[in-house]
Amino acid sequence: MCCNENFRERSEGEKIQTSLDLNDISGMKFFDPHVHMTSRTTDDYQAMADAGIVALIEPAFWLGQPRTGLDSFTDYYSSLIGWERFRSSQFGIKHYCTIGLNSREANNEKLAEQVMEILPNFIFKEGVVGIGEIGFDDQTAAEEKYFRLQLDLAKEAGLPVQIHTPHRDKKKGTQRSMDISIEQGLAPSMVIVDHNNEETVKEVLDRGFWAAFTIYPFTKMGNERMVEVVKQYGSERIMINSAADWGISDPLAIPKTAALMKKSGISLKDIELVTYRNAITAFGQSGQINEADFLTVKNIDQSQKFESNSILRGGQQPRIDKNSIIIS
Amino acid sequence: MLLTEFERIIRRSLSSGAMDWLEQKIGLIKTEEKNLQLNLAFSHIPRFVEKKTIALQPSEVAEINQKLPGFDLSGWSADRLARVYLLMQVPDQDKEVYLRKINGLFTAAEMNEQAALYSALPVFSYPQEWIHRCEEGIRSNIGTVLEAIMYHNPYPARYLSENSWNQLVLKAFFTEKDITRITGIKERKNKALSETLKDYVQERLAAHRTVHPEIYKLIEL
Repeated sequence: MCCNENFRERSEGEKIQTSLDLNDISGMKFFDPHVHMTSRTTDDYQAMADAGIVALIEPAFWLGQPRTGLDSFTDYYSSLIGWERFRSSQFGIKHYCTIGLNSREANNEKLAEQVMEILPNFIFKEGVVGIGEIGFDDQTAAEEKYFRLQLDLAKEAGLPVQIHTPHRDKKKGTQRSMDISIEQGLAPSMVIVDHNNEETVKEVLDRGFWAAFTIYPFTKMGNERMVEVVKQYGSERIMINSAADWGISDPLAIPKTAALMKKSGISLKDIELVTYRNAITAFGQSGQINEADFLTVKNIDQSQKFESNSILRGGQQPRIDKNSIIIS
Repeated sequence: MLLTEFERIIRRSLSSGAMDWLEQKIGLIKTEEKNLQLNLAFSHIPRFVEKKTIALQPSEVAEINQKLPGFDLSGWSADRLARVYLLMQVPDQDKEVYLRKINGLFTAAEMNEQAALYSALPVFSYPQEWIHRCEEGIRSNIGTVLEAIMYHNPYPARYLSENSWNQLVLKAFFTEKDITRITGIKERKNKALSETLKDYVQERLAAHRTVHPEIYKLIEL
């Protein structure tokens, strides 16, 4: 989650316009297991598809300000499995999500109680690949209570868990999240611990959990540091994501990091594991990911033409020329 | 009403494992008071039923069209067929309970579930009760939902008011749908629609945009 407040610094900086060169990774495919598309534009979807992202997971999260009623949660969860899923398909990207009550809003106990009651209506839906993102923010007692309850729910439903580790007091918060997962009876192989850094990764891997890294400017991992992590720890149970949201973040974090890894001499096999395969293996334990679907959604403009009628079923978005000042 | 026809097609389209699972769930749904089994089975269908397009015999298409004119399952996926088949078996003796169960499915519906629910409009009991739902569906921006309502679905033409029907037709032009597949498009031509479409044609021409040739057929009254 965002935000950095250095907007003056940003605005004063030199405005450089260059085009991004991703030729090194052309033809590779990527899976972003953590990206909040509801807060991104159609330009982002188009750029992600162009850069090779074939599928993504959108975890349920905090919306930048607190929700005050249950219906806001119902509508948000519905949009993750409805409208946003369709929007993504229009750009040929397969959209999955994880559903959960985030840690910040767990602190509104009266509402949290009601949200827990509606979660079972959503977690068994097609394409819901886990409970997430859940865990700690302030590490309060209420956060712990709803974290444990949702871990129980994940265990009952046989779903993986996507854990958001806190920004503040991160190392202890990460350890505590893992301890609690074990206490609630989850196998570490069913738990993806997210937002790792150099200080947390070793213990997460040693204890058998999946270690996810968020490549997010200024506040989380930079991708040069990520290259070093992979050099040191290898590619087993490590995955990267963009966690792009309404803050200054980068929906192309994965392809960019793949390009940097390639330049840095990391093997293609390791790059593939970290940017694609491991996420599918981890979240695929939900039984809800079928790689053949990536191709189906990608070929939307051919396969969804009906009886050779030129009108698109579902309607893939037409491409606009971003470099033209003409808007027609 | 179409249960026998559906059953024949579904038996052929599903694996025996999937069929056994579905029949077991239908048994539970027929007897439960609450909606837990219905909600779970409705969501779980794609875990057991493939998404391939179903194959229909011309005689089956004709038979369904005879019983429910304008209804055509051509192009449906097997999971949608299974979902609609399931919905046809929800007990409807108690109207209030029936409406609550079906409306509950709409409230938390995933993208493909929404399309299946709207495809089922013509087979739901208490048809008058779904008018508002159908109008709501026409406001959707999800292309597949719009198509489920518009294409080969006899419900809108039969039950929508003139205003709502006209919205459907306008929305179909605006979202570039295949107008020829809308059930009742000729039968429900009307003066108000014709006037609005004339304005729309003028607007398109003024913007130097193309005009869909089908529009002119609806303007000639």
